[in-house]
Amino acid sequence: MASNLKIDVQDKDLLVTLREFFRLILEQEDISAIFVSQRLPMKNTIMPALVTDSKTLDRTDPLAPAFPINGAKLLSRLTRKSSGEKIAAVLRPCEIRAFTELLKLKQGKTDDLIIIGIDCLGAFRNTDYFRFVEKNPERSTELFIDSVLSGKGTTAGGIDLAPACKACEFPIAPNNADISIGLIGIDVKNQVLIEARTSAGEEICKKLNLSETKKTAERKTAVDNLVAQRIEYRDKMFAETRDTVDNLEKLTAYLAGCINCYNCRVACPVCYCKECVFVTDVFYHEPSQYLHWAKRKGILKMPSDTLFYHITRLAHSSMACVGCGQCSNACPNEISVMELFRTVAEKTQSAFGYEAGRSLDEPPPLSVFEKDEFLEVAQT
Amino acid sequence: MIKKIGKALVVGGGISGIRAALDLAEFGYGVTLIDKASHLGGILAQLDYQFPTNNCGMCKMLPLIDRDSSSQYCLRRGLFHENIDILLSTQLASVEGEPGKFQVTLDQKSNPVDPSLCVGCGKCIQVCPVELPNCFNEGLSTRKAIYLPLPHAIPNSYRIDGNVCTLCGACVEVCPTDAVKLVDEGRKKFSILIVDDELIVRDSLKEWLEIEGGFAVEMAQSGQEALERLKEKKFRLMLLDIKMPGMDGVETLQKAKEILPDLHVVMMTAYATVETAVEAMKIGAMDYLIKPFDPDVLIPKIVKIYEELNVSAGLTLEVGAIVLSPGNSYFNPADGKDTLGYGKNPDVITGLEFERILSAAGPYEGRLVRPSDGRPIKKMAWIQCVGSRDFQTNADFCSNICCMYAIKEAMKAKERAQNAGYELDAAIFYMDMRTFGKSFQRYKDLAERCGVRFTRGRIHSVLPDKESGNLVVRHASYSGKISKDAFDMIVLAAGQRPALCTSDIAEMTGIELNSSGFPSTRPFSMSGTNQNGIVVAGTFAGLKDISESVTQAGAAALLASRVIHASGGGLALESGPAPIYADVSRENPQVMVVICSCNMASGLSEPEKLAENIKADPCVKHVLFTDRICTTSGWENLVEMVKKHHPNRLLIGACLPYLYARNLKALGEEVGINPRLMDVVDIHTPGFSDVDSQDPEYFRSMTETTLKMSIAKLKYADCASSVHAENSVFQQALIVGGGIAGMSAALAIADHGFKVDIVEHEKELGGNLRWLETTIEEHDIPSFLADTIAKVEKHPMIKVHTQSTVIASAGQVGQFFTAIEENEAPAVINLEHGVVILATGGAEAVTTSYGYGKNKKIITQKELAQKVNADELDIRSIKTLVMIQCVDSREEPRNYCSRVCCASSIKSALQFKKENPEIAIYVFYRDMMTYGFMESYFTEARKAGVIFIPYTINKKPVVTNENDSIFITAFEPIISQEIKIEPDMLVLGTGIIPTLPPSLAQTFGIALDQDGFFQEAESKWRPVDSLKEGVFACGLAHSPRNIPEAIATAEAAAQRALRILGHEYIPAGRISSTVRSSLCSLCERCIDTCPYGARTLNEDGKKVLVNSAMCQGCGLCAAVCPNSASVIEGYPMEQMLEMIDAAIL
Repeated sequence: MASNLKIDVQDKDLLVTLREFFRLILEQEDISAIFVSQRLPMKNTIMPALVTDSKTLDRTDPLAPAFPINGAKLLSRLTRKSSGEKIAAVLRPCEIRAFTELLKLKQGKTDDLIIIGIDCLGAFRNTDYFRFVEKNPERSTELFIDSVLSGKGTTAGGIDLAPACKACEFPIAPNNADISIGLIGIDVKNQVLIEARTSAGEEICKKLNLSETKKTAERKTAVDNLVAQRIEYRDKMFAETRDTVDNLEKLTAYLAGCINCYNCRVACPVCYCKECVFVTDVFYHEPSQYLHWAKRKGILKMPSDTLFYHITRLAHSSMACVGCGQCSNACPNEISVMELFRTVAEKTQSAFGYEAGRSLDEPPPLSVFEKDEFLEVAQT
Repeated sequence: MIKKIGKALVVGGGISGIRAALDLAEFGYGVTLIDKASHLGGILAQLDYQFPTNNCGMCKMLPLIDRDSSSQYCLRRGLFHENIDILLSTQLASVEGEPGKFQVTLDQKSNPVDPSLCVGCGKCIQVCPVELPNCFNEGLSTRKAIYLPLPHAIPNSYRIDGNVCTLCGACVEVCPTDAVKLVDEGRKKFSILIVDDELIVRDSLKEWLEIEGGFAVEMAQSGQEALERLKEKKFRLMLLDIKMPGMDGVETLQKAKEILPDLHVVMMTAYATVETAVEAMKIGAMDYLIKPFDPDVLIPKIVKIYEELNVSAGLTLEVGAIVLSPGNSYFNPADGKDTLGYGKNPDVITGLEFERILSAAGPYEGRLVRPSDGRPIKKMAWIQCVGSRDFQTNADFCSNICCMYAIKEAMKAKERAQNAGYELDAAIFYMDMRTFGKSFQRYKDLAERCGVRFTRGRIHSVLPDKESGNLVVRHASYSGKISKDAFDMIVLAAGQRPALCTSDIAEMTGIELNSSGFPSTRPFSMSGTNQNGIVVAGTFAGLKDISESVTQAGAAALLASRVIHASGGGLALESGPAPIYADVSRENPQVMVVICSCNMASGLSEPEKLAENIKADPCVKHVLFTDRICTTSGWENLVEMVKKHHPNRLLIGACLPYLYARNLKALGEEVGINPRLMDVVDIHTPGFSDVDSQDPEYFRSMTETTLKMSIAKLKYADCASSVHAENSVFQQALIVGGGIAGMSAALAIADHGFKVDIVEHEKELGGNLRWLETTIEEHDIPSFLADTIAKVEKHPMIKVHTQSTVIASAGQVGQFFTAIEENEAPAVINLEHGVVILATGGAEAVTTSYGYGKNKKIITQKELAQKVNADELDIRSIKTLVMIQCVDSREEPRNYCSRVCCASSIKSALQFKKENPEIAIYVFYRDMMTYGFMESYFTEARKAGVIFIPYTINKKPVVTNENDSIFITAFEPIISQEIKIEPDMLVLGTGIIPTLPPSLAQTFGIALDQDGFFQEAESKWRPVDSLKEGVFACGLAHSPRNIPEAIATAEAAAQRALRILGHEYIPAGRISSTVRSSLCSLCERCIDTCPYGARTLNEDGKKVLVNSAMCQGCGLCAAVCPNSASVIEGYPMEQMLEMIDAAIL
């Protein structure tokens, strides 16, 4: 049902064109606000913002190679209950996919929401991004976009995409985005592809009077090539990670730097508990207990329960992991949390034929009872 | 104390008896459940696997509401319920009185092994010299005279088979707890008089009976002397010689009976005078013994007489109603001509024997091997209808269940073979595959896809191949072609026969039997007999599968309950105030660990070390050793220890923890410790888990780990004696649908004094019965219907809403609010009710097959019935009539049997043949589904000349229209030719479709199966329940059924509903889940996951609520909740973690 539309690029400036597009959407009668990444006046920081005044959209920057937070979690706060007004949200594919998982967990609603997906060009690690903008204080985003979309690559000044982005096989918004903005394989000097994917999307696009276009073979080839490249990287990452963590000893070593700061949990878009069990009394052991454990083996690594924490989080969340990489981004001790999660998630999700974020129609596997599954487990 | 007022007796503790007993007990009556075996479970004790799950599921019968009043462990192991007295090894001896007030006498066999002393060590088995076939394994293995009747029963104590025991006393000597009392005290009081003129006979008899038998024996050398002795003393038994000088035996007998009419006399005779002995039995002797005597034969015989006489010291009870469910017996294929070689060839076995071979507890531990030589079975066959549908064995009936169990056995055997790495060739030889139950046809299709071969034909004979030892089956195809096929093993589907006790029970109770010797039931009833207040359940009145047995048992319970209620029998009084336990919630845990050492004496070398290690935990205050806690004296010791040390938690390490539930409860009340703070853990099994290891260190560490885990469990056990909120019940029922099922359910509930609303969308009550005239048994349907409608309309507790539909419903068990719309004068009525029964019925399926609609000569069965009823049909003018069965049925998408069409066709055919003997009737069928006693009508129809022609799904008859004529072209397999018939009328059996609107199902939160029928909570064990408690279904909405079967589901559903309606409040279970709302993220996964629908979101969507009556404490919600916002009370996470910690380190 999707209609393929286009907007013309003004003065060959993609960012300006997109800002104008967002302004048109915000000015729609029934849309009260737009949730989109903004370049903050301080330190060139990029953060999502809820914009109601269209004048402030000139600092909107959805394509900067910065990904400080997965917006799904924030969007959940905005849509948990009806506010009575409709908002539009501009999100990266992994943010939409994470939000889809949260929707399944009843942590958000789409009743008053228009999801606008945008082709993701990837992002740097947080620290890398700051190095990058420092080197290129002016027009850093434009530089990055030009380099990526002209095929010159994602590396800029020795800085490359975060591993999560390099391994991401979902650069295009998933199907439940109401509107998808296409850039990859498009002549972005002249036009941008707009796909209205849902009836709500169609309705808005109709009001905007966009002209129709056709999907080109170039776009398909470009996307396919990009995905193939990503999958290659991803599979290599899986193989390497598996080798690094394939027994408990290795896994312990892998996570040795963990200090129980729980940053990865806070950063994770699909870790949705109001209060994590790891900060409750259950893990606030009696002092005598620590001594008891220490005595039993002669040594107790402190803080304790770090391995248990990660395994629990894998058990609870790997089924919903969309691979956005925020966990790695958040780790103060550079543990490759994303690599571990994606490697495990690949197995847990494929065991149930599930793919996190793919579709709202797929219920989380643990909520579904199938009488005849994993019979081999029952037999052993 | 619970004072039981309304009481029922259930005879036979198979699944039907258990279901009926539980239904009555859950409603609140006191039930006495007896079984002649020493265990419950009936035949199901021997069956490990049931289709379609190919697993067991018996425990699903256990109460879901007020579940703490019952045991909640494997039902195959045993049952406990507060309102049920279970008497095993007990038989019904007599019945007197009237409905509502029967006096019954029960015979209970004594057991020489005292169950309170027996610790199950099994030493007696090792020394017992008597070995005989083990009936539990259908004779495929052996057992001793002292044995465990059921390997998995709990509690499980040994029994002695008095019929074979030689009283050698070896078991008495070896028993470490003196549990065996071979010579019981009663025998010393059982005085026997031996009368014989030969001294040597007198002396040897006296010696045997006194010393080995333990009886009190006196002697007399002549008839005259005997009579004098009888005047002096009241002897119980006289052994009397026939040939004596002077007064002979017969004369002595006559005179003795004058002196002591109650005296039991056994004649002693030489072979020559056996005839005299037989004559003597006519004048009062009970038996005779032939000289010379063998003590091994004689003593058991006297013991048997003693036991038979002594049991009737019997228990007398007064009960309001009696449910008879003592089961059935089976045809012995060795009887008669036995052309199949059963009994001659060990590899020809019965279905039941094969169930034992499949069982892991069976003779070959579940391996698929031949009894004769232990070789793996590669090719096997099942032969159906052995002693069923067979005139030669006087069996003009179908045994109902054999087709399905043969398929199941074949599937299970194939699976076993696959696990062993090979493919089994499995063939079933059948006459008709009677897959008439819900889902059966699909199960058969699955078997076919799995490679089970189905071959039609009756097997004439099975002959062993001398060289290979294989069994050669000769069978003839329709066309008469004979073929042979060799198999490793043959399983015979032995047909049903009445229970051995049937005629005795019939005599005692006055219930009528049918021509095959089974109890017959009242018209339109599956359970009611000619004797009001005496009802039948289960296979007693003919074999039934589990689901039908459970349904009928529910119906039987209902009929029994109705009689008890009508005769003024109230319900059991509530128990007294709850015991008060000490509040220890603010005390530190102080655990007393008591270790039972009798079974670990050999394994445990350093008990001090074990005690020391356990005491390392500061919560453990005392570690004490004692032995035989399971015996009465051992338990008393333990109670003393508890009283002395005053712990606030108690852990017992022993074997068989199941034994202690009642003891702990009593101890709790005595010493004030909440039973939740006491635990018994099995230290025996883990310690001996590695049987090869004799390492005491291993034994100690396993014991220590086990104990430490339980200490952790007790430390964190919930010590608050909180009671969950009880859920109030609005004691009124709603029934949707006013057909026969709905009305029967309504009457059943209303007759118990509860209000019922019936919502019927038609103008009139009656449903499908309005167009039916007679049943195949020629019972008059219209008068039965009129009668029922009159009862419903006159009933003060029933309100009928015709032309009304349900528009919305909310609520849960106990409290439903439903809005109905009355269409006539449009108005919405709000009804409050505690339960709902969906009886929305079904209809004849419409079809476009076989040219229906193109020619008015082609009609459906319903149209035929309507024409006949309206006298629109001149049967005499019809020359040729064709009927086609299974139209659009038993194939996807409507892949199920509708059960009634075959009987319906036969009914019409017989009627037409009667009125017009010249009429030619051809019935095209796939499998004639005349199950049970309906088979006789199939026979009758064939005798009357109705021609039955089978067709297959790939080769259906073809109907063509030419001008105004219709022609049926079909393949006739017997003559192997295509035939063409031009009938005057073609009747199509299109089957039944449900008329249960999906929207209605959704309104009440229940599921439909793929064919649109009601989806049962469990097809076998909970056949009329939905997964949502409080919502039930019956009649055609449930599944295709004939009238009595539909009524049985209605009565069963009503009984299930009464369990709830009978209480003002539903008590919650002790183990129930709760939500810690402050932690809850409202993801609702627990709501989706809860299989009992016990969880809902509150009105403002801010809180997850748990209905503690519906919650079964299964823990799925706790497992699915990532941060323990959802928890099972009494199982905190700290406890689990510490237990795991104890287990893995």
